[in-house]
Amino acid sequence: MDSNKTVIRKETKNKIHVDYEGKLSFKERLQAKLKTSNTWIRVLVNIFRFVLMLGVSFVILFPFISKIAGSFMTKADVIDPTVSLIAKNFTLEQYKYIITENQYFTALVNTALLSLSVALIQTFIACLVGYGLAKFKFKGNKIVMALVVFTMVVPHQTLSLAIQMWLSDFDIMQPKSWEFTMGYNGIVGTIAQWIDPTKTQVSLQNSLVPYYIFSVCGLAFKNGLYIYLLRQFFKGVPDELEESAYVDGSGVFRTFFRIIIPLAVPMMITVFLFSFSWQWTDQFYHSVFFATQQEGEGVFLMPNVIEQVSISLGASAETDTTALLYKSVVENTAGMMIIAPLIIMYLFCQKYLVQGIERSGLVG
Amino acid sequence: MSNSNEKTLTLPKRHRKASLDAKKARAGYLFVLPFLIGILFVYLPILIDSITYSFSNFIIEINEQGTPERVLEFVGFDHYNYAFTTSPDFVGKLVSGLQNLIFEVPAIIIFSLFIAVVLNQKMLGRAVFRAIFFVPVIIATGIMESLGDNMATQATQSSVEAGGAAAESATQTDGAEQTGGAQIISMLDVQALFANMKVGQELVTYVVDLVNNIYNIINYSGVQMLIFLAGLQSISPQIYEACKIDGATGWETFWKVTFPMISPMILVNAVYTVIDSFTRTSNVTMTYISGEVGRNLGQGSAMYWIYFLSVILIIALVGAIMSSFIFYQRRD
Repeated sequence: MDSNKTVIRKETKNKIHVDYEGKLSFKERLQAKLKTSNTWIRVLVNIFRFVLMLGVSFVILFPFISKIAGSFMTKADVIDPTVSLIAKNFTLEQYKYIITENQYFTALVNTALLSLSVALIQTFIACLVGYGLAKFKFKGNKIVMALVVFTMVVPHQTLSLAIQMWLSDFDIMQPKSWEFTMGYNGIVGTIAQWIDPTKTQVSLQNSLVPYYIFSVCGLAFKNGLYIYLLRQFFKGVPDELEESAYVDGSGVFRTFFRIIIPLAVPMMITVFLFSFSWQWTDQFYHSVFFATQQEGEGVFLMPNVIEQVSISLGASAETDTTALLYKSVVENTAGMMIIAPLIIMYLFCQKYLVQGIERSGLVG
Repeated sequence: MSNSNEKTLTLPKRHRKASLDAKKARAGYLFVLPFLIGILFVYLPILIDSITYSFSNFIIEINEQGTPERVLEFVGFDHYNYAFTTSPDFVGKLVSGLQNLIFEVPAIIIFSLFIAVVLNQKMLGRAVFRAIFFVPVIIATGIMESLGDNMATQATQSSVEAGGAAAESATQTDGAEQTGGAQIISMLDVQALFANMKVGQELVTYVVDLVNNIYNIINYSGVQMLIFLAGLQSISPQIYEACKIDGATGWETFWKVTFPMISPMILVNAVYTVIDSFTRTSNVTMTYISGEVGRNLGQGSAMYWIYFLSVILIIALVGAIMSSFIFYQRRD
């Protein structure tokens, strides 16, 4: 046999035999690879998988693409049946309209502040509760966990009216329905009356306080999920870590802040991302907490932008289908502008989102 | 003598041990304190209120001073009776909502498991695909979801109301905006395809609905994908290595290793999906009930609670059935 020549021979369906000396050139390696039938199947599978992923990605992204495309259209383009994605008359007037006439930046700043503070509080509280549930065997541990799941299962829509009533006459530990039958002002009501005799009740409607109350208590939107995720994470942290800290004389809380919290950072980032972005795009709680909001009253948030757009454009839209279409396009543009900061944040943070959950060692 | 000695020795020891446990337990209470306070002072009153409303009529009366006053009138199970016997649509809407739930949950679970398995493999552009697949988790809630709903209803309204060019353009933009709303495959084509394959009509309908709902299914399976991905990552690579050495194919490895190991996650996801899809506002039953609440507060609340209880029943059922199939890896 020629010693310098490489011989590639096919033995069975999935097996090849290669005789060679020294290094194989790229061409020869390729040849060897292509001779196995396995390679072809693998290539086909890869292509199929890639196309499938591409298709699903398209389904996910297309609504956004079409909304962005629609945001550059003039009124004439919107009703023109020959225009579907690319505008004939490129314009920024929709953006200008939303920014100048709908206080977009006010809403942006307010929403950013609210979401940031609320998300920080929620992450911290979920961390506390999750750690307590995962690592301490106190009486009623299981009951508390069941309550966490319970708060997740009862939809807040079911409670929305009760929440509104509760806010209009804010009090703690006392159902409003008892008040009607007993004619009792409640703790907060009594204190308010004592400070200012003309007042018998405190209204928290149209303010941001309820957001904070719900966050501090771990009752806000999907907080049950955060508590569950963090509990699962803390269950995976070995007990020896804390035990050694206790032996070294560190207290429970010191151990928690110095050792446990730094460990949980990836998971906390995931939870923070969830709560931040869900608070940002929230509309339901806004509609409950600001049910009686008048124009120009209270804090101007993102859902107000959409409300204002639909009110100011809605008058003509009732009779005119063109105006109706244009209104929905502008609403979509407003929607895209609302989530634009989120998308930018997501681009930077998406790897933490997956990482946090991947490292969590989540087990059922 | 010796007895008393033992007692004096053991008693303080026991005492000290108990106090350490008590100390730890107390710390545990401190950790969950915010939540307990929330439950006791905020959640429970609201919950009781909501239940009371479902048992009573809510009337606004003018009292002696001439100011309107809210009065609750207890009516017992009237509202529940109304929901089941008198209300024309409620039972139908409830059943169709629950049907949707049963249709949606397996689809979301299977889809998210499939995507999670694919995203867990090494492939071209994996990082980009991962980023894209989790976009719905972050963004497609709240405002965006309701905007999508608005679009669909408005576009259909306008196409019904207007004739000629306006209607045409309306349907056009509808098609452009709403990939999910428009039919991707038509029922007739698929029926022709399956006509001779002896599969049941139900299956065909199910598959067609599935494909036409693909947009929603993708949008609603973000968190589930994340949880599955986490579960897949926690399976130790040694097991796969052993499988490879023993000559198992990818298919066998999936069913004999990945699937049992991921089964706890399937339960978690099933429960989460049930909760998520029944608390969604765009849900048929939810939309109907929120309309009813606007009409009559008491009756609406009663309907909410009936709906809630039936879903709790479903969750219990799902949990009971699935927990018998779940494999828990024993850890030392």
